[in-house]
Amino acid sequence: MASSSKAARLGEEVWKSRVDKINAEVLTLTYGTIVAQLCRDLTLPATANKTDYAAVNAELDRMGYNIGLRLIEDFLAKSNTGTCSSFRETAEVISKVGFKMFLNVVPQVTNWQGVEGKPQAFGLVFEENPLAEFVEYPDDGRAQDELWYSNILCGVIRGALEMVQMQIEAHFVTDVLRGNDTTEMRVTLVRYIEDEMPPDDE
Amino acid sequence: MSVYSFYIFDRHTECIYTKRWTEHHAPPTSRPSATGALSNGAADVPVATRRAMKLEDDAKLIFGTIFSLRRMVRQLGGADDQFLSYRTGEYKLHYFETPTQLKLIMLTDMRVGNMRTVLYQIWATLYVEYVVKSPLAPTEHPRGVGVANELFEGGLERFIESMFSPQP
Amino acid sequence: MPAATTTTAAPPPPPLDFKNSDTIPVLPPSKHQPSLRYPSSGSHRKTIYDRSLSRPPSATSLPAFAYLFNTLITYHHAKSGSVSDIETRLNRAGYPIGVKMLDLLLYRQAAAAPGGFGGAGKSGASGARPTRLLELLQFVHGTLWRGLFGRQADALEQSTTKKNEYMIVDNEPVVNTYVTIPREMSQLNCAAFVAGVVEGVCDAAGFGTEGVSAHWAEGEEMWPGKTIFLLRFREEVMEREEGLKAGGGGG
Repeated sequence: MASSSKAARLGEEVWKSRVDKINAEVLTLTYGTIVAQLCRDLTLPATANKTDYAAVNAELDRMGYNIGLRLIEDFLAKSNTGTCSSFRETAEVISKVGFKMFLNVVPQVTNWQGVEGKPQAFGLVFEENPLAEFVEYPDDGRAQDELWYSNILCGVIRGALEMVQMQIEAHFVTDVLRGNDTTEMRVTLVRYIEDEMPPDDE
Repeated sequence: MSVYSFYIFDRHTECIYTKRWTEHHAPPTSRPSATGALSNGAADVPVATRRAMKLEDDAKLIFGTIFSLRRMVRQLGGADDQFLSYRTGEYKLHYFETPTQLKLIMLTDMRVGNMRTVLYQIWATLYVEYVVKSPLAPTEHPRGVGVANELFEGGLERFIESMFSPQP
Repeated sequence: MPAATTTTAAPPPPPLDFKNSDTIPVLPPSKHQPSLRYPSSGSHRKTIYDRSLSRPPSATSLPAFAYLFNTLITYHHAKSGSVSDIETRLNRAGYPIGVKMLDLLLYRQAAAAPGGFGGAGKSGASGARPTRLLELLQFVHGTLWRGLFGRQADALEQSTTKKNEYMIVDNEPVVNTYVTIPREMSQLNCAAFVAGVVEGVCDAAGFGTEGVSAHWAEGEEMWPGKTIFLLRFREEVMEREEGLKAGGGGG
């Protein structure tokens, strides 16, 4: 696993031959019911129906984290990618194999910051986002400023990378649903997680 | 050819699954009541508990061994090197580690060949399908909760049976 | 930035003047000011209004759906006290999807039909909603299942005992692919979510139900996951159907 074209080929191959498919709209609408449910259930204190969007973002991230912890095993078993040699390679594999294999989209890796050994971060720009198809925010004067509709994806990446010993921080910085021209997530490497040691005997 | 035991350790170094096939030892089930009735000291540990402790000790020892071996192998052979198995005069230990640091270990007799693909398959087709994807099981498995479900156990049993001729 | 939602009391609209009939009275503009922002024109085809609805839906991975569906189940499981409680919650989660799918599928049918919108022909092709019970059932069994799962359902049957009850059978519901039910909850069928979708379609089409529910088929060797969706239509729906039949209306 080295070049990005190699990752692209692998992503295509796994998507074509090793993944069962379903109509993307079913996914879109199912995700929609989850977000809508959270918007109804998580309300600001002392209000009946004012959604606490910050709480929704956090809950979506938490849900995604739990998915990520599981999804990574599935991902590794199907794609058979080994351990990545650099964070750059990790970014390529996430975009071209991970997203391709699970969502059939390939977000663009952009805006690199930092170098090996220093704090590193990259952006994932989504040209297509199957989660957000059919979506328009409620015109309540708050949703567009507060809700990150696809926040579950941040959690998924965080959970998945934690399992392969990378602690990262992920959040959306723009979203077309908020009126931005792009949808971009920033992923920052916090640190590589050391092997856990067995507890001392006696 | 025979298989003795199988262990899974998670990334927190905890043993989340143990399975033993050794049946030549006397079945322990008849013993506890007998010894329990004869002994009267409060310090005396019931056999069942002692046996459980023994199993736990075994798992600890095995983990300690592979942990050291794994580190040694990397120091000698480079970060990407992995050890596959080791052999003693009594048994052979087979080792496979996933990138998520799940460690699968199988103890067999000495004549058994390379088991890496077998361990890989147990992970990819049994563990991932039946443990990881089960929605009502916990995401992580402290004290092994949620690993030994029916589908996984059954699948493992059949898979091992198909690999090794049944014990006499 | 909070939008100006606090309303200053609007002045009462001027009384409409009908005396001068040359001009059609125009209502004063409504108070509501949309405050949503949209991407600037530079980024084409980004908002939902720029995309064609009749565009064939793309494919995504079944595992991705399964992870989301599992998340949905876990969420409702944590908030439920019983199996029927989980099923009700899953049903409610699916319901709005059904309401939307009816419109979407009818729209696509019409767009794909040779005559285009408003083209003559049977309701199926023109994009009109089903008006007779059998049409609706075939729509659910065929069009809806194909739209959601890429194949039609496996059977459509009428109850032998109650004439307002119909059954749609799916031998292997896609949504249950990765769901293992613990023994203590063996009655739980998470296809209750799909039952909710069906209920949404029926309601939106004007065929009110007393509920649509999902049940495991008993004693199935071939298809262990075989699921029966039971549709119980309301009395007034059955009466209307009888009336239509007697009047020989429709076709």
